[in-house]
Formats: sequence, structure tokens, C-alpha cells
Amino acid sequence: MKKKIISMLLASSMILTLAACGGGSGSGTSDSSSGDQDAASGDAAAITLWQPTDKESVENWWVEKLDEWNSEHPDIQVTREAIDRSDSYAYENKVATAVTSNDLPDILFVDGPQVSYYAANGITIPITQYFEDTSDFTESTINQCTYDGDLYAISATESSVAFYYNKDMLRENGVDVDDLDSRTLDNPITWSEMRDIAEKCTTDSYVGTHIVMDHGEGLPYALEPMYISEGKDYISDDGSKADSYVNSKESVKTTAFLADLIANGYANVDPITDEFLNKACATEIGGSWEIATLEQSADFDWGVTYYPVSDDTKKAVSPCGDWSAAITKDCQNPDAAAEFLQWLMATDNVASYAAAIAKPAARASAYDDEAMAEYKEGARALIVEQLQNTAAPRPRTPSYSTFSTDYAEAMTNIFAEAASNGTVDESYIQEQMDGVASGFEEDYETYYAN
Amino acid sequence: MATSGNMSMRKRGERIAAYVFTCPAIALLIAFLMVPMVYTVYYSVFQYQVMRPDDIVFIGLENYKKLFADPDFWKALKNTFYFTVLVVPFQLVLALALAMLVSKKFKGVAVFRTMYFSPQLTSMVVIAVLWTVLYNSNPNTGLINSMLVGLGLEPINFLTNTKTAMNAIIFMSAWQGAGYQMMIFLAGLQGIPRDQYEAASVDGANSLQQFVSITLPNLKGTIKYVIMITMIQAMKLFTQPYVMTQGGPQNATKTMVYYIYTQGFQKGNFGYACSVAAVFFVIVVAMSLILQKLTAED
Repeated sequence: MKKKIISMLLASSMILTLAACGGGSGSGTSDSSSGDQDAASGDAAAITLWQPTDKESVENWWVEKLDEWNSEHPDIQVTREAIDRSDSYAYENKVATAVTSNDLPDILFVDGPQVSYYAANGITIPITQYFEDTSDFTESTINQCTYDGDLYAISATESSVAFYYNKDMLRENGVDVDDLDSRTLDNPITWSEMRDIAEKCTTDSYVGTHIVMDHGEGLPYALEPMYISEGKDYISDDGSKADSYVNSKESVKTTAFLADLIANGYANVDPITDEFLNKACATEIGGSWEIATLEQSADFDWGVTYYPVSDDTKKAVSPCGDWSAAITKDCQNPDAAAEFLQWLMATDNVASYAAAIAKPAARASAYDDEAMAEYKEGARALIVEQLQNTAAPRPRTPSYSTFSTDYAEAMTNIFAEAASNGTVDESYIQEQMDGVASGFEEDYETYYAN
Repeated sequence: MATSGNMSMRKRGERIAAYVFTCPAIALLIAFLMVPMVYTVYYSVFQYQVMRPDDIVFIGLENYKKLFADPDFWKALKNTFYFTVLVVPFQLVLALALAMLVSKKFKGVAVFRTMYFSPQLTSMVVIAVLWTVLYNSNPNTGLINSMLVGLGLEPINFLTNTKTAMNAIIFMSAWQGAGYQMMIFLAGLQGIPRDQYEAASVDGANSLQQFVSITLPNLKGTIKYVIMITMIQAMKLFTQPYVMTQGGPQNATKTMVYYIYTQGFQKGNFGYACSVAAVFFVIVVAMSLILQKLTAED
């Protein structure tokens, strides 16, 4: 009898332990204010927010700002969960899982081109009525965050990509650095100039350039301006067609130019992390966020100039778009979530957030703030100038996820093929790009055409 | 009478206790294995975009028709078989060789056992990241290529060449997994009665003869078990291609589980991903049964 009682007690304790284990709130780390625990138990609206994990300065900014908000607004308590993105699609996967289990947060940070995908699928709700005057925000941000005439997300920051160069290495290899330093937006370097520099600067110790940002969204993001500059974007303006866009002859030519850099060994097919900072390449097509890293850690003389343009058109185009905040369909109190977002997007918060994350602010007025003083001149001013004049948002289409995955895969295949054979096979590029176009069309026709 | 009554009471009590103890395991098995399996088969006959859980459309066997005509599916299946067919014997031989080595009694043997087993204690993601750097095609950054260049050889694009990418993953997977199988073999080796070896020595059998006539027959059960678990593990290959190659180059390392993941999560074709998963499940079960049949005792 005694044995039976002990067995029952043990079994019960195991079940309870398991139940306790299941009570967590998923992966990631949470930030909340000191006061929110008490408030959450009362009548206060509890707003949850998901965002990819970021560097320490950003994480600290959130802790401080949420403390400020939560102590000033006992009726709306906000908790943030930072989720690891793992340099790929891990964050998006978590969102997809949450959609199937109706477990979305109230506010979701969404990457620029994903705004249309989430909006078209009803995952996020329009926020137009909460942000009636958006004239202070950059046009590219508002375009990226608008779907079907409605604003679905709002962003505090922007991003861009430019051409970075290691002046020491360029001088060593006889490249005219002063010429690069003096370029303007009306006279940016061309692809052939970029190729010449890469060729001259490829040595036994380092390669000439860097074009593979990552194996995920970084590829379509960083390379799209090349396609637009050559004359054809990835997808039609209305977001419904990829055939004769991403697989057009202009697109094949653009891709061949990039693959040629790999085939000749001027760029690494599998670059190490921070290749430019680690002096493993002489130049790079790199993000605007690199400026802060280079200022802090580079032990060499470096410069940055505008995104390279096609030799044929000389049309200057640059990437843009950043993570934007959206309100999800599962939000029980959209008014409270929007009130928080309005506060979050106030000029002073935008300025301090942009400074913490080392990205350009998406509000023009933020540049008058002390926190944005660094953007008045130098490399950062160049990025802002580029954003204000040549920024092109990524395709606004609900099938962007499929496109992004297929394009990244196709480019990885093309680069690998070029690296293995040492030559560029345009028919292979055409075949891969046809595959991207048909994958897009199938997804669009299946889920969104009607 | 009273004694037999007590006995049956006791037996019944033990049976109840056994049920109670197995309950949590069964509950977990049902919740996390059986129910998802049933759901997988159910969703496989629907057109289901992962972002539209409220808007699913019944399409019968359309997903299955599409699947059998999909070259990526066949490529992923072929890659999975290629990996399994090569990694299982390679890992088995490596693990057995290591087990034979560390079963000997010599000074510091525990250190070697720990060293060989240590990759098992590290997360596969960490190991995959580490090997990605080791395999890097640039001799200035990739250790293996730097050694090749040092020997006067040409560097190899291990992970970006279709001919070498899967083999590179096979090698690192066997290196990582062999430690665990080594421990199983070690337990098997220690269970072989020493007197059999002593008798063989007296009869003049050399080491190879002892290995073939005593060690291998005695390890038959262990080998069968190791083959079975390694095969099932190999069929589920995901982390290495996810971290190291993203299924590339040119789909050379795209495996079935990776294909299911990209279809279901990255592209959101949940219904289609379920149909691939259902077909894959049938293949794995069939292979396990065939293997069991082939290795069954007469």
C-alpha cells in the first residue's frame, strides 16, 4: 500500500513538473519595466512586442525606453520579446508558427518587404487612421509600409547599402583613392569601375570585393539596385508578375556581372563574417550599419561612396527599408498598441533609437535632434543623401517570401557554379532565374491572384 | 489461500503502478507524435498557406500529384539516400575502430574516450558553424585549405562545389556522431567474455582472426542497433545543410527534412510540406522494416 502511495505521488510530481516546463513563453529574452508586473495583474492593457534581437546598445535602449513608458502609462504596460534571427529566416519562422497557433504578439516588427506579405494575408491590420500625417517620414519608408492603399507598418529607421573601400589596400594596388573620395551622387562609380578596382585589389592575401551579404534576405536586398539600374526590377510595379522581370535579359546580364566577380576570384563565394573589417577583402557592397562598426573597430583607413551604377544607364539607385512596427490581427486593444506606437515614433524617440541602432532615421525632423548630429557630414551624410534621392523600396508583393527564398537560392547556386567552373554560364543563369520567376508566379496565382 | 490472494493483490498493484508510470510518456507520445502525425496527413490534402490558417481549401490528392512531379522532391530524396548510404557504414566503421582502440587498457585511455565523445556534447549548430570556417574555400581563412595550399595543393571549394559539398557534410557528420556509437560499441565489447579471447590465443588465433571470429559475432546485436539508429538519424539530416550550405550548391545538399522546412516555413506552403512529410514518413518506416527484416535472426 505504502509503495502504491509513493508511486502515485511520484507520478503526480512528474506530471506537475512537465506542466510547469510547458508554462514558459517561448524562446528569446523579455524586457519589461519594473512596474509592469503589478500593473499587468490589474486592469492595465498588456501589450506585447516582438522584435529580432539586436546589439547591446539597442537592447539597452529598449530597457530604458520601456521603463520610461511603463512608469508613465500604468494603464498600458508594454513587454518586449527579443527573438534571435540567426542571420537567416529564424524570426520569420517563429512568426509563421505563431500565426498557426493564434499566438501573435500585439505589435510585431516586420522587415520592409514582408509588410505586403503579412498585410495581404491579414496578419497585420491597417494603421492609417493612427498615422494620418506621415509627411515627415521618408517617402521610401511610407511606400514600403503601404499595401493596397493602406499603411500597415511604421518605421523609425531606414537602411541603405553603399560601396566601402579600404584606402590602404587600394593605395597598395595603385587605385586612385582621391577619385573615389570625390565622387558625387551625379557621378557615382560604374560597375566596370567597381570590377577594375576589384581586379586590381585581388591579391594572395585578400580578395578585391565582397558581394554576398548573407544567404537569406541580404542577397535580394543588397543587390536589387543593380537590377533596377540596368533597367528591370525583380517584379512588376503592381507586385503580380516576375516573368520577364527577374528572368529578363537585363536581369541575366546583371547577375552575370556579379557571378563574373566570383568566377574570377575577385569576390569570395563563401565570405567570412565581417570580411571587410577583417581585411579579407579590399572593398565591399555593405550596409549603412557598417559605418558604426568600422568607426569603432577598423584599424585601417577606409572610405565609402555611392552605390555603383550600370554602365549602360548610369541610373543611380540604392537599397532602403528597415524593420517596421505593425499591429497584428490578434491584438485585443489596437488603440492602446497604436498609442504606444505613436509615442515610439515621436521625433525624439526616433532620433535616439536611430542613434542606438546606428541607422539613418526615417523622420526628417529627427536629424535636427542632438542624437543625430553625426549625420550632418561624412559617411552618414552620404547615406542620408542617397536615401533621400535614389532609394527604391523592395517589391511590394504578397509573394515576396517565396521570391526572396527562391532568389537567394538561385544566386547561391549561380555563385557556386561560377566559383567551381571559373567561368560564367549565362544559360545556367537564365535557367535559375526562370525557376525564380515560375516559383513566384505559382505562389501568386495559387494564393493571391483572385 | 491468503498468501496467493496477497500475491495477486500485489501483482495488480504493480500493474497499476506500471500504468501510472508510463502515463506521462504515453501522454507526451500522443501529444507530440501521434496527434501531429494525424494532422500532417490531414493537412496534406488541403491547399494551406501558413499565413492563412482560416482559409484552407480541400484539394484531394493534388499535393501528392504535384510532389511526384517535382524534381526538387526527387533530388532531396536522392540526396538523403546518398547521405544515409555513405554515412552509416563510414560512421559504423569509425565508431568500431575507435571503440576497439579505447577498449584497451593503457594510461590515459579515459582522456581519449572523453576526447572522442566530446563532439557529442556540443550542439550540432556550433559544430556546423565551426566546420563551415574550417571548410572555407579561401586559404587565408579556411584551415583545411590553408593546409592544402601549404602542401602545394590547390584549394578546394568544399561547401560550394556540387561534387564535394555533400561529402564534406558526410565527413563532419561521421566525425561528430562516431563518439556516441563508440560508447555503445564499447559497452558491447566489454560484454564479451574474456575467456573466449584467451581460448583463441591458446589455439594460436591472431588478432584479426579473433576480431572476425569472436568480436564481430558477439557484437552482432550491437551492430544491428547502431545501424538502425544511425540510419534513422541520417534520414533526418537537417542542421548541417541548414547552417553550412542552405541546401546548395545547386540543391546538392538539399535533404528531405530541409525541403519540408523550406516549403512549410519559408514559402508558407504548409499543405504541400505536409504531403512531403507524409510520404517521407512512409519511406522511413518502410526502410526501417526492411532493415529489420534483413538483419533479423533466423
